[in-house]
Amino acid sequence: MTEVNYGNSPSADELRSMSPEEAMIAGAEVDGVHIVHRRERFPVRGSKAEKRAERAVAACFAIAGLAGVGFIVAFIAVPFHWHLPGTPQDFKYFTPAVGGTLALMLLFFGVGLVLWAKWLMPEEEVVQDRHDDPSKVEDQMMTEATLAVGLEDTGIRRRSVLLLSVLGAGGALATVPLVYLVGSLLKRPGTTLFHTMFQRNTKLFPQSKGMVPIVYSDWRQVSPDDLLPGGLATVFPGVRQPSEGYDGVHNASSPTLLIRLRPGQVVHPRKGQADFGWPKQNPQYIAFSKICTHAGCPASLYEQQTGRLLCPCHQSQFDVLSDAKPVFGPATRSLPKLPLEVLTGKDGRLYFYARSDYHEPIGPGFWERP
Amino acid sequence: MTTTSPVTNPPRRTQPRTPAGKMGKFVDDRLNVAGPLRKQLNKVFPDHWSFMMGEIALYSFIVLLLTGTFLTFFFDPSQTEVVYNGRYVPMQGIEMSRAYASTLDISFDVRGGLVIRQIHHWAALMFVAAMMIHMFRVFFTGAFRKPREFNWLIGLGLLALGIVEGFAGYSLPDDLLSGTGLRIADAIMLSIPVVGTWVSFLVFGGTFPGHIFLDRLYIAHVLLIPGIILALISAHLALVVRQKHSQFPGNGRTEHQVSGERVYPIYAAKAGGFFFIVFAALAALGAFAQINPIWLFGPYQPSQVSSGSQPDWYMMFLDGSTRLFPSWEIRLWGHTLPPLFWPTVVLPGILGAMAALYPFIEARMTRDYQHHNLLQRPRDVPVRTSLGLMAITFYVVLFLSGGNDIIAHVFDISLNAMTWGGRIALLILPPIAYAATYRICLGLQRHDREVLEHGIETGIIKVLPTGEYIEVHQPLGPTDDHGHGLLEYSGTPVPKRMNQLGVMSPVKLIRGFFYPVTEKPELQAAIDEADAAETSQRQHQLTE
Amino acid sequence: MTDDFDGELGFEPAVPATGAEPSAAARGPQRRPTLRRKLAAAAVLTGALGAMGGSYAAFAASSGAANQPSSAQQIAEGRQLFENSCITCHGANLQGVVGRGPTLLGVGGAAAYFQVSTGRMPLAQQGPEANRKPPMFTEAQTEALAAYVQSVGGGTAAPTGNLRGSSADIAVGGDLFRLNCASCHGVTFKGAPLSAGKYAPSLYPSTDKQMYTAMLTGPESMPVFSDNQITPDQKKAIIAYVQNIKASKDPGGEGIGRIGPVSEAVVIWVAGVGALMIAILWIGAKSQ
Repeated sequence: MTEVNYGNSPSADELRSMSPEEAMIAGAEVDGVHIVHRRERFPVRGSKAEKRAERAVAACFAIAGLAGVGFIVAFIAVPFHWHLPGTPQDFKYFTPAVGGTLALMLLFFGVGLVLWAKWLMPEEEVVQDRHDDPSKVEDQMMTEATLAVGLEDTGIRRRSVLLLSVLGAGGALATVPLVYLVGSLLKRPGTTLFHTMFQRNTKLFPQSKGMVPIVYSDWRQVSPDDLLPGGLATVFPGVRQPSEGYDGVHNASSPTLLIRLRPGQVVHPRKGQADFGWPKQNPQYIAFSKICTHAGCPASLYEQQTGRLLCPCHQSQFDVLSDAKPVFGPATRSLPKLPLEVLTGKDGRLYFYARSDYHEPIGPGFWERP
Repeated sequence: MTTTSPVTNPPRRTQPRTPAGKMGKFVDDRLNVAGPLRKQLNKVFPDHWSFMMGEIALYSFIVLLLTGTFLTFFFDPSQTEVVYNGRYVPMQGIEMSRAYASTLDISFDVRGGLVIRQIHHWAALMFVAAMMIHMFRVFFTGAFRKPREFNWLIGLGLLALGIVEGFAGYSLPDDLLSGTGLRIADAIMLSIPVVGTWVSFLVFGGTFPGHIFLDRLYIAHVLLIPGIILALISAHLALVVRQKHSQFPGNGRTEHQVSGERVYPIYAAKAGGFFFIVFAALAALGAFAQINPIWLFGPYQPSQVSSGSQPDWYMMFLDGSTRLFPSWEIRLWGHTLPPLFWPTVVLPGILGAMAALYPFIEARMTRDYQHHNLLQRPRDVPVRTSLGLMAITFYVVLFLSGGNDIIAHVFDISLNAMTWGGRIALLILPPIAYAATYRICLGLQRHDREVLEHGIETGIIKVLPTGEYIEVHQPLGPTDDHGHGLLEYSGTPVPKRMNQLGVMSPVKLIRGFFYPVTEKPELQAAIDEADAAETSQRQHQLTE
Repeated sequence: MTDDFDGELGFEPAVPATGAEPSAAARGPQRRPTLRRKLAAAAVLTGALGAMGGSYAAFAASSGAANQPSSAQQIAEGRQLFENSCITCHGANLQGVVGRGPTLLGVGGAAAYFQVSTGRMPLAQQGPEANRKPPMFTEAQTEALAAYVQSVGGGTAAPTGNLRGSSADIAVGGDLFRLNCASCHGVTFKGAPLSAGKYAPSLYPSTDKQMYTAMLTGPESMPVFSDNQITPDQKKAIIAYVQNIKASKDPGGEGIGRIGPVSEAVVIWVAGVGALMIAILWIGAKSQ
């Protein structure tokens, strides 16, 4: 900051002879602050108006103090334990009581301070000089010279080998932390995004030739009898063995919508996916990935009469009867379709299995996706 | 200095006697601060109300630090699954992450925890909102111009970081709403060309949601980002102190000084009081308005979702842009460029870049490379004002589209119609806003000139002897022979109504409301004398 | 005792008639004097009974005959009502009338109960979605109509008896609700728009039986949730969750509609920023 002296700073003796106010004004002048206008709010001390203003400010602080006491009382005394409805819902008073007294305390403290400044402190109009012009030419020249000579002293311009080596070392110093951080955090995506837990697994499911059973969130197996026409269920691969730490029901890639169509609803299948439903001819049951192909929300607002499926996040709409083709909104790709198979269980009932994994990556698009 | 020279005592002030004086001397003997301290105490701040918007943001941030520290005593960001066994019956026995369970504990088992959580969340919304209106003030008054471009950039950085910090904050409780938001964030990362999947796997430590992400996000939320914000705020304020505050033009105000009140004691009392008022407003919101009731949302499960899922308001414009963007996907050479990339990565990038470059673009277009410490009235710079309104309109359409499903539901409008309405509005409303604002600015300018030239309408109608009716105008200053005002427009507000000519203080009215303020006779005489003296002094100044 | 949404939607408050929940009451320290607790419990019961009113009495009368086939008298009464109010659109033998209304053969008493008790039937006008209205018939008449439709066409019968799970089921019900129902009705039961003007309605006016029959029959756009998929106990748990959360008070002050970030955005900009703008105008104003 450029130091500028305004006039002559008064001597100590001069200051001793001044009143405090004069000394203050003199100090302000030294700092380039000119008090243009300064006036007591109440030029005559002890007037009724002044006392009234003082009392009002004091009242603010008193209310703030009382509110603080109220806060402590409320904090200790008001019940806050949550109860089911049917019992007194008195906990609903806790937050308003505690927060309200807190707010009251803060508000009146703040208002008191502001009123103090507005009503009781002197009114003043002060002008301060700015010094935001660029530095003086002399200053610039001297600093420039200092920098240049310093650079010359290092000799870096002449010693090109040194320059190159130090640049190289600097580059290394800058890169190493970055490599360290990114390198330790990095994970190879591999093919993880290309398959889900519906992948055939002969080790876990030898009886079904590796086909993964389809279950509800409570691990009950899904049977065709479970769904009535117009029915919808969120189903999962029945794999309890965790993959990446999450089992079939909790894995982020596995949620699937199983839909039973209404009588008369006919699916227009995509090429090569005509037999993914069940029965293979004129399917009544079809299953799609619940994960929206746009941004990965569970697209599950299903209108059973029209066969429309809506995603609640960005309102992409899919037509289930055209194999979940996007018909409105920002989504660009159909929801992947799960090939269904039905096998007879030990109890004689029919149960759904996934004949294979989805034939395309589920969820939002990414660069490596073909 | 040689040893032989006579020892002269430097002029020394008498030893202080009061405790405060002793303390002052004790400090000054060690730190030598008397000069610099006085300089800071005497620093002048202009007191226009619009200069306090940035203070709201600063104080909200302080409230965030205070309440956030309290919350760290109870919050556990771990994603480990636990079975909830706390006091909130509708979640008992449900599997959830420790992050969600500890947030429930803060809300139901920690006495007063919910109030602090709510104040913290409201303060976060206020922090970003205050930064935004502060930015509007700086933009529309031209306060970003030379020499303050650096602070404009720092402010933009603060706004961006504030948004990121807020997103990190509401993602931490691991509830259904925040999990949905994080999954979209993952999809946004995946949409980046070439490196997208690598970025996503780096951030989540594997496929979404992984096991480590919330711990990382927590450190970012409580240490990394607040640290950077704090540093940037310091730089922002240091530059304000260094460059001094800009001010509106007015009588006697020039580019070379700043006028107002000194920091000590008036400005400090007002600003300190205002901190408590901001805190009080946030506490009142936390007390009376329930925010982010995560116990209603449930723990995050990738298979679950709720209709009406929105992010907090400052992210809503991105949600809106994503909803409005058409289904355009680029597939080339076995690669996919998803539609999500444009509205969530490219659009905010462009908006940010435009805002960052604006001061330099404006300087170049207007060839104005001067120092500016005096502000402009928005009407006096119609192009800038109109551009600003255009940008705000664009933003508001996106913002409203972020909640278009709620709007559709409440007002019984078709959702598809809302989407199309948003798309069309996004294209046609901003230019309309530009044109309308431009005309309004010009109109206001002309009216200012008209009043300066012809005076204020008094409402007094006169009938001339010819039978003509005219309204009497009160000139604002000296007039020429034709009765036209001689005052030049100087960038300050022009009074437009008669009662703006005198000063009417509501406080004075209230004070004498119940009974007239009467003083004792001798005091009243002294007051009258002081008033008379001041009036004559004022008139003396004016005539000079 | 009153429900927040009572006046707004003009429907009975969802207060459980079971009264105090013992385990929750026993958990916390008991500060409340015994007399006051008794009074409060009495108030709960009185309020619940008063709110349920005459319809509750009618319901109790019919549920006394739970698991018994509807009486011939009830079916006859239902037939009478059907011929007065439904026959123009659904035909004399429930076969439907082309261009007016679908056949009711096989839809069952549950569907009939839902449509009539929520006031959707008789239909006011054709549209993308039938709207909820004040019901045209009393609870007893609705039951009679349902019994008649059931007796002629067969299908899923309307359930009887207690359809709400106990407080121990609430958490499980909540999880099932979030998985199966929240995607449309929302975690706070506000409902949501579907495609092109259709919508999922709010659950705030819904009674236990209406929710149960809705799950069972999938009215309008709603999918069907059979008893094999979501068992009757699970359905009752879901209803217990919904009714308890609806009736529970917000612990954090005013619930601002339980809408979430959109209403929070309105509050912060209007109340929060608004109040502080007034504050800075006041602080910045010249005094005296």
